Amino acid sequence: MIQTLSALKVSLIKWFARFYPMAKRNLYHFHGGIFPQYHKELSLSHPLKRGIIPKILVLPLRQHLGIRTEAKVKVGDRVLKNQCIADTKKGLSAPIHAPTSGKVIAIEPRYKPHPSGLKKLSIVIETDGLDECIDNVLDVKGNIPNDPLALKEIVHRAGIVGMGGAGFPTFAKLPEKPGIVKNLLINGAECEPFITCDDMLMQTHADEIIKGAQIVGQALGIERILFGIEDNKQKAIQAVTKACENTHIEIRPVMTVYPMGGQTQLIQELLGMEVPSEHHAIDVGVLMMNVATLRAIYHAVIHGSPLISRFVTISGLGLEEPFNAEALLGTSFLELAEMAAPKQPINYPLIQGGPMMGMALHENNVPIIKTTNCVLANPPEPVEPVMPCIRCGECMDACPINLLPQQLYWHSRNHEFDRVEKLKVFDCIECGCCSFVCPSHIPLVQYYRHAKSAIKEIKHKEAIAKLAQKRHEFKLERLAREKAERDAKIKAKKAAVKQKTAQSASTKGSASAAAAAKAAAMKQKKQAASESGTETVLSARDNAIALAKKRAQAAKDSSKKTPQIPHKPTQVTRQKTIEADRQMDKNTKPSEAGTEVPKDKSSTTDDASKRRAAAIAAARQKAKKSAQKQEDLHEA
Amino acid sequence: MIQVSSPFTHNNNSVRKVMLNVQLAALPALFTHIYFFGFGITIQWTLALITLLVVETIMLKLRNRPIWPYLTDFSGLITVTGLVFCIPPEAPWWVIVSGITFAIIFGKHLYGGLGYNPFNPAMLGFAFLLISFPYEMTQWTLPTQVSGYYLSFIDSFYLIFSGQIHSVPLDQITGATPLDEVKTALSTGVTVPTSLMSDSFNAFRIPYGWAAVNIAFFIGGTWMLISRSIRWQYPVGFLLTMIILSAAFNWFDPETYAPVRFHLLTGGLMLAAFFIITDPVSSSTTPMGRFIYASGIAVLVYIIRNWGAFPEGIAFAVLIMNMFVPIIDQYTQPRVVGYRK
Repeated sequence: MIQTLSALKVSLIKWFARFYPMAKRNLYHFHGGIFPQYHKELSLSHPLKRGIIPKILVLPLRQHLGIRTEAKVKVGDRVLKNQCIADTKKGLSAPIHAPTSGKVIAIEPRYKPHPSGLKKLSIVIETDGLDECIDNVLDVKGNIPNDPLALKEIVHRAGIVGMGGAGFPTFAKLPEKPGIVKNLLINGAECEPFITCDDMLMQTHADEIIKGAQIVGQALGIERILFGIEDNKQKAIQAVTKACENTHIEIRPVMTVYPMGGQTQLIQELLGMEVPSEHHAIDVGVLMMNVATLRAIYHAVIHGSPLISRFVTISGLGLEEPFNAEALLGTSFLELAEMAAPKQPINYPLIQGGPMMGMALHENNVPIIKTTNCVLANPPEPVEPVMPCIRCGECMDACPINLLPQQLYWHSRNHEFDRVEKLKVFDCIECGCCSFVCPSHIPLVQYYRHAKSAIKEIKHKEAIAKLAQKRHEFKLERLAREKAERDAKIKAKKAAVKQKTAQSASTKGSASAAAAAKAAAMKQKKQAASESGTETVLSARDNAIALAKKRAQAAKDSSKKTPQIPHKPTQVTRQKTIEADRQMDKNTKPSEAGTEVPKDKSSTTDDASKRRAAAIAAARQKAKKSAQKQEDLHEA
Repeated sequence: MIQVSSPFTHNNNSVRKVMLNVQLAALPALFTHIYFFGFGITIQWTLALITLLVVETIMLKLRNRPIWPYLTDFSGLITVTGLVFCIPPEAPWWVIVSGITFAIIFGKHLYGGLGYNPFNPAMLGFAFLLISFPYEMTQWTLPTQVSGYYLSFIDSFYLIFSGQIHSVPLDQITGATPLDEVKTALSTGVTVPTSLMSDSFNAFRIPYGWAAVNIAFFIGGTWMLISRSIRWQYPVGFLLTMIILSAAFNWFDPETYAPVRFHLLTGGLMLAAFFIITDPVSSSTTPMGRFIYASGIAVLVYIIRNWGAFPEGIAFAVLIMNMFVPIIDQYTQPRVVGYRK
C-alpha cells in the first residue's frame, strides 16, 4: 500500500516536472541540487583505450592527501613495473610504484595538477616499452584477510588512495577493529558532467568491483553493502546487477542529480541519515568507497599488484573523439588530449576533473595522478559579466547543505569573517551548485574558498599569539618561582647560621664545637645538592665571619660589574647575574677555600639553568607539536 | 575574462532573462487593462520608460558606473511595471514622470543601485505620489462598462498632456475606485452588501475591470512561478493570509467587512502578490522569512484597507515590511545539514 502510494507520488512528480523541471528536487532525499547538461555520451560513444605506454612518465611524490613520499630510487636506476619507487614512514602517505619498466632519468620538480600551479618534486621515468613486471610485488597469498589490520597493511603498501577525487589514503580511512562499520556504501553515482570513467569501469569490470567490496566487507565484518548508481547509467546498472547475483549486495539506482556523488548526499540518499557536522562518516558506522578504489583493493589483495593505473575520461567540447582510457599514472594530460583529435589546438587551459568541481590547469603538460578522473578540454567561452546580487535565492534553493550562499557571499565580500563562520561556511562542500544557478554570474564558490582560507589564517595567527602569551606567562611564573626558591634557601641558611652561632656560644667546648660543626655540615649537605668531599671543617664562628666577608666582597664585585642585582626576567640580565655569581665564586675561592655558600649558589644557578634548558626543550616540543597540528589542519 | 575557478559551467540564466520574463508575465494584465480602461496605460508606460532611461543614464554617469550593462539588466522595467499599474491611466504626465524619477533616484541609485535598495523602489515612488498628489492619484478612469464611454488613444493622449478633453465630460469618465467607493459608503452608514450592488460591480458582485486585471495578473504570476522567476512563498503566504483574514472578518460581521472575493479582486492585490512583494532585493531571503514577510504585508494591507486613512494600503504595507527584513532574515535561517534538528 505504502509502496504503491510512493510510486504514485513519484510518477506524479515526474509528470509535474514536465512543466516545472525543479519539481525533480522532490525525488531525492537531500536539499537542493542541480540538473546540468551531462554530455556523458561524448566519451561513452568511443571504445575504451588500453595499453598506452607513453615515452615519459612523471610521478609526483605526493599524489594524495598527507605528507610527501621520499624517492627510493636514484637517477639512472632501472625500474620494473609494480616496483615501489617512493615511500615514507614519516606520516600519513601512500607509496608510489613504477607503472611500467624503464629508467629513472630525473628526480626533479615538475608541474603537477595542483591549484598552486607550482613545480613539485617528481620521479621522471623514461619507459622502455618492454613492460617488464614484478608479479605479486605485495607478496600476498590471494586469500581475503579476515582482520582489518591485515587489510589495512596491504592497502597501504599498494598505495591506494580515494580515487573519487579526494585522494585520502584509503588505509587511514579503514577502522582497526571489525564491526565498527555497519554500512559499506559503494559510490558509483558519478554525478559530474562529462565524466564517465566510473561508468566505463562498472560496465567492464563489475565483477572486480564487487569482489573488492566483498573483501572490504569480510575484513571489516560489515553486514550491509549498498551500491548507489545514478539511473542515467543503465548499462552499468545491468552489469553490476549481473555481477551481484548470489551476493547480498543491494543495488540502489538513485536519481540523476548533481551532487549525488558527494559523500554526505549519497549517505542521505541511501541511508536517510545525516553525518553530524565535524564528524566523519565512520563515526556513524558508514564507510563509503568509490568503485575505482574497490577495484584497486581487489587487485592488491588478490593479485598483489599496486595502484599503477586508473580509468580516466578524456572528454570535452573541444575534442572530436573523446574516450575513456585505462591510463598509467604519470601519463601527460596533453598527450592524452591530443589522442582525442582536438577540434582546435589546445592552447587553452585543460581542466582536471569535471566542470563543476574541477581545476583549471596553469600548465597543460601535467601527469595523470591517482586522483585524476577526467581530462576536460572545453574551449573557453565568453563569460557573462558579474552583476550585483539581486538576492533571488536561487543559490539557496540549490545548496545541498542548506546553507545561505547569498548571505555567505555578502559577508565574505565585506570581510566579515566572524559572520561567515557563523553561517557555517566550513560545512560548504564547494560543489558549485550556487555559482551554477546564479543569474548574476557571481563566482560564489571562489568567495567561500577565500573566506575559508582567510579564517584559517586568522585562527592560525590567533593560535600563535596564544602560544606566545602562554610561554611568556610560564616564563614569568618560573622566574618568580626561582626567585622565591632562592630567597627561601638564603633565609634557611641564615637561620642555620644563627642557630649555629647560638649553639657554639652556649657550649664553647672544642669537642662540642666539632660536633656542632659536623651537624651544621650535615645540614648543609642536605641543602646543597652537590658537595665536595674535601671540606674543611671550620668553627661556626669562623664560618660566620667568612660569610660576612664574602658577602662584602660580593657586594663590592657586583657593584663594580652589575650596578644592581637584577631579578628582571630578561635573558641578558639573567646571563649577567650568572656571570656575576661565577665571578663571585672565583673571587671567594682562593681566600676562603671550602666555604660552600658560593658553591651552593652556583649549584643553584646550575640547577636553574638545567631546569631552564629542560623547560625550553619542553616548550619547543610543544610548539613543534602544535605547529604539526596546524599543518595537519591545513592539509585537511 | 576567463573563468579561473570551478564551476566552469552555468545554467545560462541571467538577471536580464529574469527581468524580461517578469515583463512577459505582465503582458496579459496590460492587455486586460487596455480593454477595460483604455489606452491611457500605454502612454503612461512609454512616458515611464523614457523617464527611466534618462534618469538611470544620468544617475549611472554620476555614480561613475558602466552605463550599458546596468541599463540593459532591465531591472528598472520592474519598477516601471509596478508603478504604471498603480497610477490612474489618465493621470497628468508629470505624475508618472516625477514618480519614476523619485523611485529611481531615491529608491534605487542613492542606495547603491541594483541589489542594494532596502525599499521597493516602485512602492517608494507610489507612496511619494500618493502623499504629494492625493487628488490626481484618486481620480481613476472608470471602466467602459461603468461609464459608458470608451476613450480612444487620442483622447487619452490629450487628457494626459493637457488635462482636459472636449468630447466627453470629465466627471463622467473618472471616479473613485471600488475600494474607495465601499470605504466611503461605509463611513456614511451604507453597509458593504449594499455597496456591492452598485453599478461598479457585475452580476458576481465583483468590480468591473478591476477583477479582470487582477485575474490577468494571477495568470501571469502563475507563469512566473512555473518559470521560477519568483518564489512560491510570496504569493502563497500573501494570498493565504489575505483569504484567512477577510474570510474571518466577513464571517464575523458581513455588514462591515467585505467578502474574500472583493479583497482579492480589487485594487492592486494580485499585482502586489506576484509582482511587487516578490522583488527579491528588498524582501526576506530565507524560505521561512519570505513566508513571514508576505503574510506580514497581507496583514498590514488588510488593516490599512479596513481601518486606515487610505483606501489601498499595499505601498505602505510593503515599505513597512521592508524595514523588518533584516530581523526576519536573522531569525529564520534554515537548519544546515549535519546540525541538530
